[in-house]
Amino acid sequence: MEAGKIYALIGANGRGKTTFMKTLIGQIPAISGGISIGNKASSVLSPIEKSKLFGFVQSRFAGVPYMKAKEYVALGRSPYTNAFGRLSTKDEDIVNQSFSTLEIEHLADKFTEELSDGERQMLAIAKVLTQETQYIFLDEPTAFLDYSNKKKVLDKLTEIAIKLKKTIVYSSHDLELTLGHSDELVCIAHEGNDVRSFRKNEIEFEGLVRFCFGVNSPN
Amino acid sequence: MRVKKNRFLLLVLLVILPIAFVCHFAAGEISISWSTFTDAWLHFDSSNSEHLIVREFRFPRFVMACLAGSALSVSGLMMQTLFNNPLAGPYILGINSGSSLFVAISLMTGFTFFQNDFGLVSSALIGALVFGFIILGISFKIKQGISLLLIGLMLGSFSGALISILQYLSEANALKMFTLWAMGSLQQVQTAQLPFILLLFFLGMIASFFIVKPLNAFVLGETEAELLGISIRNIRLLIILITAVLTGLVTAFCGPIAFIGLAVPNLVKIIFKTQDHRILLPASLILGAVFLVFCDIVVQLFAETLPLPINAVTSLIGAPMVIYFIVKRIAR
Repeated sequence: MEAGKIYALIGANGRGKTTFMKTLIGQIPAISGGISIGNKASSVLSPIEKSKLFGFVQSRFAGVPYMKAKEYVALGRSPYTNAFGRLSTKDEDIVNQSFSTLEIEHLADKFTEELSDGERQMLAIAKVLTQETQYIFLDEPTAFLDYSNKKKVLDKLTEIAIKLKKTIVYSSHDLELTLGHSDELVCIAHEGNDVRSFRKNEIEFEGLVRFCFGVNSPN
Repeated sequence: MRVKKNRFLLLVLLVILPIAFVCHFAAGEISISWSTFTDAWLHFDSSNSEHLIVREFRFPRFVMACLAGSALSVSGLMMQTLFNNPLAGPYILGINSGSSLFVAISLMTGFTFFQNDFGLVSSALIGALVFGFIILGISFKIKQGISLLLIGLMLGSFSGALISILQYLSEANALKMFTLWAMGSLQQVQTAQLPFILLLFFLGMIASFFIVKPLNAFVLGETEAELLGISIRNIRLLIILITAVLTGLVTAFCGPIAFIGLAVPNLVKIIFKTQDHRILLPASLILGAVFLVFCDIVVQLFAETLPLPINAVTSLIGAPMVIYFIVKRIAR
């Protein structure tokens, strides 16, 4: 995987997209084989080392009572702060920076429970940015969003990959949307154990739909 | 701005504590002047009964009310965070029942782990630890908080049943001792025992202040905490250990005091409107102390006309308070 690139992981429900990503970041052990970062296997990394290397955004952040957006995003600094989680000026700057990268400064002082799903998804991405990891994984970041929010989130992710030189991997089953928002598609076949990856310019839409979902494209 | 406001609120709580002390002292059955109080410490006269009351009754009772209130509140807070459930608490998760069961066994069958003053204490501590680890073990298998709470309640009624069998079989004297213990009392502690209690209390509190950062991450759930680099296994173990020690300690000396561990952390979250344990922890510590001292003042005021067990008062005062705050919050 290359820095500054964005990868989409496509597959039907229940085909193991989440499991695959969680294995990549070492949250669950690989059934066979191993994953190496540089020349180190990801399974030997300590939790703190993993947290400085991989960021992961779960598909939905439901909000926490009494927790302010800023408090939430600042938790992304946990791997770097001292034993009491005190934020240094540098940490504060990084938190503010990720709010402005995502253009959500106006949410900073709101309670997370009061926000919409779209706004909370942006917060979750802001949090993972403060974690300053090279790799960012997102588990169906658009699953709970309406069309305009889906587009907003994917636009931002593409921008982040290019501007901040991050390697971004996200899973989705919105094939049409992901085509415009990824450098490479990694597709899990709807049956069997086949996984194929396609570069942006070699994609043939109808074939892809059949491969991933086992149905013919409606158009 | 919120941070400043919260610091101010913490300060207010800290000021209330000495006021509560004065009221607590003045509410005692036998009125004792403040000059006698200072004399009891500076010019102690063992033949003076008022001096004895101050040193052996009033003072340890106040200290114990503070410690018990704090310890139970902090335990409750950590349980709520660990299980991600505002209904968690040492009482509901069955940790108290572990202590009760083991104390019942030692009082009514004569079996103790250590044959000395600390026989009862060690029983309560071991009971709390055993039940704590049972709950912890089950929590590895079951993720949903609500099932855990149900299992905690089951553990409670299971040990309740065992206790009633023991009660049925035991002789009158042992039965009375256990019943008095089970009602809860802050009066059983002797001044000589305070250093030991303070030592365990401070150990537990210091340990809990060192895990504020993992606690803050746990608010988002265990998966998120792990993604933020927290080794969740160790922290889980530590939380259960701390709460078992704190709860077991209080239960050993004061009996099973209900409700505080559940009510105070929730009140604190409602008042301070934050999930930051750097605020929640000290706030629960102080509010817990103030709350139990206040309940004990009520106990003392009614002592002559209607002797109330502390357990009844905590629930009588606490339950309506929590209902009020919840209704107010939802109605807003």
